[in-house]
Amino acid sequence: MAAGTAGLLWTKASADEPLVASSVCEAHELKARLAEDPELAVVIPPEFDKPWPSLAACRSHEAAWDPDAPGPHQPIPFSHKHHSGTFGVDCQYCHSGTDRSRMAGVPSVELCMGCHAQFPAEYDQLEGIQILKQHWEQQRPVEWVQIHRLPEHVKFQHQAHVRAGFACQDCHGPVEELDKLYLVPETKWWQYGLPTQKLEMGWCVMCHRDAGASTDCLTCHY
Amino acid sequence: MPEIDRRGFLKLAGASAGAAAAAGCSDHVEKLIPYVVQPEEVTPGVPVWYASTCRECPAGCGVLVKTRESRPIKLEGNPEHPINRGRLCAKGQASVERTYSPDRFHGPVRRNAAGELEPTTWDEAIAEVAAAIRANPARVRVLGGDPGDTASQLIDRFVAATGAGGRVVSIPFAREALRAATEQVFGVASEPIFDLSGADLVIDFGSELFESGLSPIEHQRQWAEARDVATHPDGGLRLVYVGSRLSLTASSSDEWLVAKPGSEGLLALALARAAIEAGAGGGAHAGLLSGPLANAGADAAARATDVPAEAIRRIGAALARARAAVALPPGHAVASRRAVGASAAVLLLNEVIGAVGSRVIVAAPEGAPRQRASYKDLLALIREMQDGQVDVLLVHHMNPVYSIPVSAGFADALAKVKLVVSFASAADETALRAHVVLPDHTALESWGDARPRPGVRSLVQPTLRPLYDTRAFGDALLDVGRAVSPEAAAQLPAGSFRTLLEANWTGTDFRAALKSGGVYQPASHAASGFAASKVEVAEPVFTGDGELTLLAVPHIFLWDGSGAALPVLQEIPDPVARVAWDSWAEVSLATADRLGVEMGDVLRLESSAGAIEVAVLPRGGIRDDVIAVPTGQGHVVGHFASKAGQGLVGVARGGNVFDLLPGDGVDESGGRAFLTERPRVSATGRHRRLPLLQWNDNKRERQLGEAMTLAALAGHGEAHAEHHGPHEMREPYDPAADAADLQYQETFHERGENSAKASPYRWGMSVDLDRCTGCSACIAACYVENNLPRVGEDETRLVRQMAWLRIDRWVGEGEPELKGGRVRAPRSREQLGDTDIRNAPLLCQHCGAAPCEPVCPVIATYHNEEGLNAMIYNRCIGTRYCANNCPYKVRRFNYWDHQLTKWPAPMELMLNPDVTVRGQGVMEKCTFCVQRIQAARQDAKNAGMLIPDGAVKTACQQACPSAVYTFGNLRDPDSQVSKASAAPQRGYHALHMLNTRPAVTYLAKVLRGKVEGSPS
Repeated sequence: MAAGTAGLLWTKASADEPLVASSVCEAHELKARLAEDPELAVVIPPEFDKPWPSLAACRSHEAAWDPDAPGPHQPIPFSHKHHSGTFGVDCQYCHSGTDRSRMAGVPSVELCMGCHAQFPAEYDQLEGIQILKQHWEQQRPVEWVQIHRLPEHVKFQHQAHVRAGFACQDCHGPVEELDKLYLVPETKWWQYGLPTQKLEMGWCVMCHRDAGASTDCLTCHY
Repeated sequence: MPEIDRRGFLKLAGASAGAAAAAGCSDHVEKLIPYVVQPEEVTPGVPVWYASTCRECPAGCGVLVKTRESRPIKLEGNPEHPINRGRLCAKGQASVERTYSPDRFHGPVRRNAAGELEPTTWDEAIAEVAAAIRANPARVRVLGGDPGDTASQLIDRFVAATGAGGRVVSIPFAREALRAATEQVFGVASEPIFDLSGADLVIDFGSELFESGLSPIEHQRQWAEARDVATHPDGGLRLVYVGSRLSLTASSSDEWLVAKPGSEGLLALALARAAIEAGAGGGAHAGLLSGPLANAGADAAARATDVPAEAIRRIGAALARARAAVALPPGHAVASRRAVGASAAVLLLNEVIGAVGSRVIVAAPEGAPRQRASYKDLLALIREMQDGQVDVLLVHHMNPVYSIPVSAGFADALAKVKLVVSFASAADETALRAHVVLPDHTALESWGDARPRPGVRSLVQPTLRPLYDTRAFGDALLDVGRAVSPEAAAQLPAGSFRTLLEANWTGTDFRAALKSGGVYQPASHAASGFAASKVEVAEPVFTGDGELTLLAVPHIFLWDGSGAALPVLQEIPDPVARVAWDSWAEVSLATADRLGVEMGDVLRLESSAGAIEVAVLPRGGIRDDVIAVPTGQGHVVGHFASKAGQGLVGVARGGNVFDLLPGDGVDESGGRAFLTERPRVSATGRHRRLPLLQWNDNKRERQLGEAMTLAALAGHGEAHAEHHGPHEMREPYDPAADAADLQYQETFHERGENSAKASPYRWGMSVDLDRCTGCSACIAACYVENNLPRVGEDETRLVRQMAWLRIDRWVGEGEPELKGGRVRAPRSREQLGDTDIRNAPLLCQHCGAAPCEPVCPVIATYHNEEGLNAMIYNRCIGTRYCANNCPYKVRRFNYWDHQLTKWPAPMELMLNPDVTVRGQGVMEKCTFCVQRIQAARQDAKNAGMLIPDGAVKTACQQACPSAVYTFGNLRDPDSQVSKASAAPQRGYHALHMLNTRPAVTYLAKVLRGKVEGSPS
């Protein structure tokens, strides 16, 4: 479904060869194009003329698996933009350990299903939802690829930073704007000389100096 | 995408930044694998604690199991538990390794036609066992150790329901003689509870109260509290040790009576007589003098026991005078063929000195009547097996092929049993001879309970889902019983073992019990009267024509052999002999000369029952007519227990001293005797370098383990300068003069960093040598807490052990002799009767002016503003300059990636995720458990306050049964550590003259001198 859509959308349609939607997502896209270009010959079969899944969901779903976008391929095309940006779900709803543990925590499949089990059945058309539900039915955890990774000899404390009032985005970047997650490069510090990469020690230390936090090695390394 | 490492960046430095960001990606992918269903109580990164019970020895200590993400990683004592009050010994600390043992069975196995064990299914295995039982239930026997209270009752019901022929309970180190003696004189078949709290004179007739004793943690705590010089200016409790060898307990005693082994009963009677003669009981016991004590005169006893008559009279008088004296019964090593009489004599002594009812409590047994361990029954079972009367033998919680003497014929008789079923969770000598193995969960995976003593019921609860396809012993037994016949099923309880357990706890608040670990009530004395006429003491009977009496000493860690499978217990050196990963034979220096052997020469010990070969360890602190061999080694199965982990499959590690004991070595009541042999001892001419961790007990008057006399402490008697105590008294802690502060200012302040914030903390520790017995619980706790590598036998021989905390054992002040030439093991400086032994725990001193710091070329080690000597692994390049410059020799170097090479799966699961696993080429050392400091700091920050005193407990401090360690903030004048470190007389810094300004203050041991007979 995902692969076919792009080709279909950019073909110039003629009256004798109308564009035919083959899924709800394509139907959303064709409707959007029709709004721009009323001349367009478009056929939307009634079984695809449905509100769900929404256009935003369809777009995020596709973008999350966009092979040309930066970032690793994840087992599920989960979009932070869709959940956190569009719907404004609080980061700590899923990453609930941030203010009380060293670790932020990655949500369990059960937590995902807590919402998704209540959504209209039409959402099952999205492959990501199908994969999620397979994991739930088979009671199999999702093996996400880690993006914000610290080596084992760094003992980062999420709760210390969250309780000190730092926003998640300070380290993780504009997650709520990203469909496919990657470590957004930091350029703010480049003025200091070396291009410091995020989650490298120099980058941590610069902030610690700025904020007056401890720069003792033992703060993080033990 | 994020991972452009430095090298990758430099390679691509010429390219544009964007290209570098795209091309610098590392191939290494880490996965984040969350729960499918996250348990409600689990927050990743936050530990969850469960109360449970330690099952490593019969003492029955309560534990709190620390789990991270549902995985147990550390055991600590349960503060609510009345037996251990939050402390835990080395065996208990190490027991977490049992769950992650590489020897574990991954599921049921059965022996195939080719005679090999192959995996099978539970249904098939249970059907096979049930069919064999059904064929002839009368020829079925159950043999095992202590499975816990409810499980034991279940076995009895299983035997009744299936019509099985019988059940035998056998525990190698059961106290059968003590129980028989208690029944004789008190009429109550139970072990008395010995309470040392508040005692002022304790005589240990070889119970080894700090190692293999009745309740080692409890007694060590009570001993330390009763002799704390801060609250007892007179020195408090005096401990008199009776025995032939300077054991761990003897090393902490105030007086050592070097009695002939086996003469404890005679000595007890003589002391009882001397006490009565000195006025004990005010004439109430005068009748005894013409009864059992008629022939117990001091002079006769002196000849029989080798204890001077003067000492007998003197200690007898001290017993009569003592406010609260108590005598502890003989232990396993001195359990002779006359052990019941000896135990009864010690009970008589307790009666005479008025200890019965207060410090010796004989309580009625509680709960359902339980079958007790009986060696007599075991021998009967072996005879039945030999006669072919046993078709099915179910073995649980025991490794009889190892722990029963070979000459008892168990291993041979096993061949005549048609179906041997083992419930062992890990492979051992017995399980590998079984036809079917129905592997049990480990204690950390199981439900269960224990009644360690009347009044105390303790629960065992699971703390992780079983790692493998194992089944709880109780459930497996229920399944087998139900499969035998519908009639048997009807007689067995419905539901699972867990339901049975809860039913067995009816009448208690089970939820509350789970939370606090059990139900605790004080025991009350139930016996009345004392049948003194039943006390019959006789000289021990020996077999063999050798000149040396064999002492099979229970190893403090390896116990009856069950500890040998745990690498921590193998790795920590024996606190007295300093040997790890091997067994040894202790003889006196004179005996060694007579045999013409030196340290490490291999001796052959040959008794009527068998022969073993072990390396010799000559000592000063052992009688000339005794040879002592520790128990526990000599396994041929197990990754760590045998040499299988070194690539030598089937090769025994050391020798099994049980092999020297005769199968029919029993005491008057049929209990198992250990002191029965006089083996022939000869040199083999071969030599083996012992894996020895300390060669030299001469501290050469250096300030490493100081002691001072009680008189010097009191400030009178001997002149202060004369006592061989701390040579220069340290001044109380002065923040203004703290070298750590100065150094910190010099390194950081001038660079303008953090200069506005002087830390409110200066971490420090005090180590009270007067409380240290050397039991090494702290070392085991450190290993487990800090992911220390277990380097194994070969590396130990190269002295490449990685212990962050070791306990040096010094004999007296030592002599400042230094000889040039090749380093040889000097002769032991111990002497018979001398108990001036200094146990000095040595860990990183976190020096204010640390010699290690200025020599590091990369500032991997430095001082932080809180006084911690930091060791940053990821900076370290492994020059080892720091270790060379450390005068305390507490820094350890990783010559290998130990975690990769020495930790077979699944041992990595027990690693503490809060402590970095060090790689090859990196230096490491004690961090004062900085991970615990950081956790407490976060908690305090969240609560908006400073870290309160006592919130940080280092692992060693937490474990120590006698509270040797105090840790805390030296900048807080009211903190416990500030007060302890300020002890003006006993406090000193190790190697004070080097001016390293350590954060560790030692408190000198107090030499109380011999027991005084008459009031001074």
